[in-house]
Amino acid sequence: MFNKLRIGKKGENIIFGTFVLLYIGWCVNSPDMNIESLKSVLTIGLSVGIIYGLVALGISLIYTGLDVVNFSHGEFFMIGAFAGLTMFNLLGNQDWIFNIFPDAYGWIIYVVCLFTAFVSMGLFGVFIERVFLRPLTKKGGGYTVAGMGIIICGFGLSVVLINVAYLIWNPVAKPFPAELGLPMEIGGLFLPITYIWMIVVGLSVAAGLWFFLNKTKMGLGIRAVAYSKDVSNLVGINVPLYISIIFGIACAIAGIGGTLVGPTYQVVVFMGYIILMKAFAAAVVGGFGNLPGAIVGGFTVGIFETASSFYISGSHKDLYAFLLMIVVLMIKPTGFFGVQVKMKA
Amino acid sequence: MLKINQLISGYGSVQILNGANMKVEKQSIVALLGGNGTGKSTILRAASGLIRSWKGTIEFNGEQIQNLPAHEIVGKGLVQVTQGKDVFPAMSVTENLKLGGFILKSKQQLLDNLEKVYNYFPRLNERKDQLAATLSGGELQMLCIGRGLMSNPKMIMLDEPSAALAPQIVLDIFKNINRIRQDGLTVLVVEQNVRMALLLADYGYVIKDGVINVEGDSKKLMYDESVKESYLGGTKANV
Repeated sequence: MFNKLRIGKKGENIIFGTFVLLYIGWCVNSPDMNIESLKSVLTIGLSVGIIYGLVALGISLIYTGLDVVNFSHGEFFMIGAFAGLTMFNLLGNQDWIFNIFPDAYGWIIYVVCLFTAFVSMGLFGVFIERVFLRPLTKKGGGYTVAGMGIIICGFGLSVVLINVAYLIWNPVAKPFPAELGLPMEIGGLFLPITYIWMIVVGLSVAAGLWFFLNKTKMGLGIRAVAYSKDVSNLVGINVPLYISIIFGIACAIAGIGGTLVGPTYQVVVFMGYIILMKAFAAAVVGGFGNLPGAIVGGFTVGIFETASSFYISGSHKDLYAFLLMIVVLMIKPTGFFGVQVKMKA
Repeated sequence: MLKINQLISGYGSVQILNGANMKVEKQSIVALLGGNGTGKSTILRAASGLIRSWKGTIEFNGEQIQNLPAHEIVGKGLVQVTQGKDVFPAMSVTENLKLGGFILKSKQQLLDNLEKVYNYFPRLNERKDQLAATLSGGELQMLCIGRGLMSNPKMIMLDEPSAALAPQIVLDIFKNINRIRQDGLTVLVVEQNVRMALLLADYGYVIKDGVINVEGDSKKLMYDESVKESYLGGTKANV
């Protein structure tokens, strides 16, 4: 409908703005609306949003680098959470750590857990890419051509990884009792310290990725491989190695996301699926394949979802992310930042 | 320097090259000519490792390089320069050039080579902070050649440097190719613009249906009846 009308970029923005204003009006009219609830909505929305953003970052990175959508990405998030939890259980009853750092004991262990999730998921991602996805590209002639096979392989991997995790850790939801300290008071609001950790660590990971991609030589190579495999080959970049690195980094970031979520909620075998879908919504909202867009999209989905469940109806919490995605696809199909640099004609 | 012997290759199950033989001497400019779909670019893609060679050998500096991974061939000093549209449009000119020197280990070497390229093409220096997407066709071709020179190659292979460019700009680029040869590099240039290419080159090969049809000194080729008929449109080349 909107295509036929040729509303253009400005028209898109006006219609989208109208929707946003209507939505804000609806929320303001809600009987629960007050400054206290608004503060909670913002902090919970931002902390949940950064998790969606981190997973969306990985999906976007794999999409730009390999030209496929990785449907098993939620499972890397879930196994990352289990990797962090396993490390936590290993270190949790070691008295010597407590004796050396009696004050900082809790968060030192947590940092080690985050690091474990990052490294182990990175290596696991490289392993999965080399063993399960790479053989498909040999038959199909490169990632771009083998796309459909890899997408289906992603679905299969998702089922397999869930069941492997089920065998190892059983389906009971497990607590992740990281001792990070008492809730913190910010602006009259008591926040569990895990929310602060989510936002701070999540933003640092995103900033670190930006720095890595834009300021280092390897990052330059990754951006080149993402744009064109052939030309990257011709300037002497080892493209197969770089594709593994891209996949590994995306999985490592998802692993960190899982370990960040663990202490706030629980660690359970089935946590990957819904996160994947919401991260997908976040990536679409921000502009698919755009890395800063993934983080902004994550925040948008997180805040929209939390605000809607506060002010509209809490019992349909999982609906709102996809509602937002559909509205964005209808009105602004490229998402917020989906602008590609095109060659001069 | 580069010796291609009975090369057979193609895409998928379609055979394009049916046993091509070529030889490029050190410090020379060799032109590889032919119409559309005769296998000119296929030879380049096989030599630079983008597609597999099914049969036959490719020798570079006395080493067999057929079916090596593409990035190792760049490391040996054989670089293919693509057509001007194959740059990274969302990166600046400097970033594009730095990518060309990706295999260099030392930073100083990279900066020296950058200086060298800007010396060849002062126009790129004027536009070094612009996105590559905003360059004109001639500047893009300069950028591609400059990117090829960044990795200290011994030999460069150019894929249609004159495609879709104004004659004045083609002349400018060909002058620079000659300068590159005088600085000690070997050049293989694939062209459809036969007259210009033969003016530039020392030796020429004409490829037809995947095999080398005619070869010889470029001055001789220019007056060769069969070449004239097939590619020069029957008119006499004015030298």
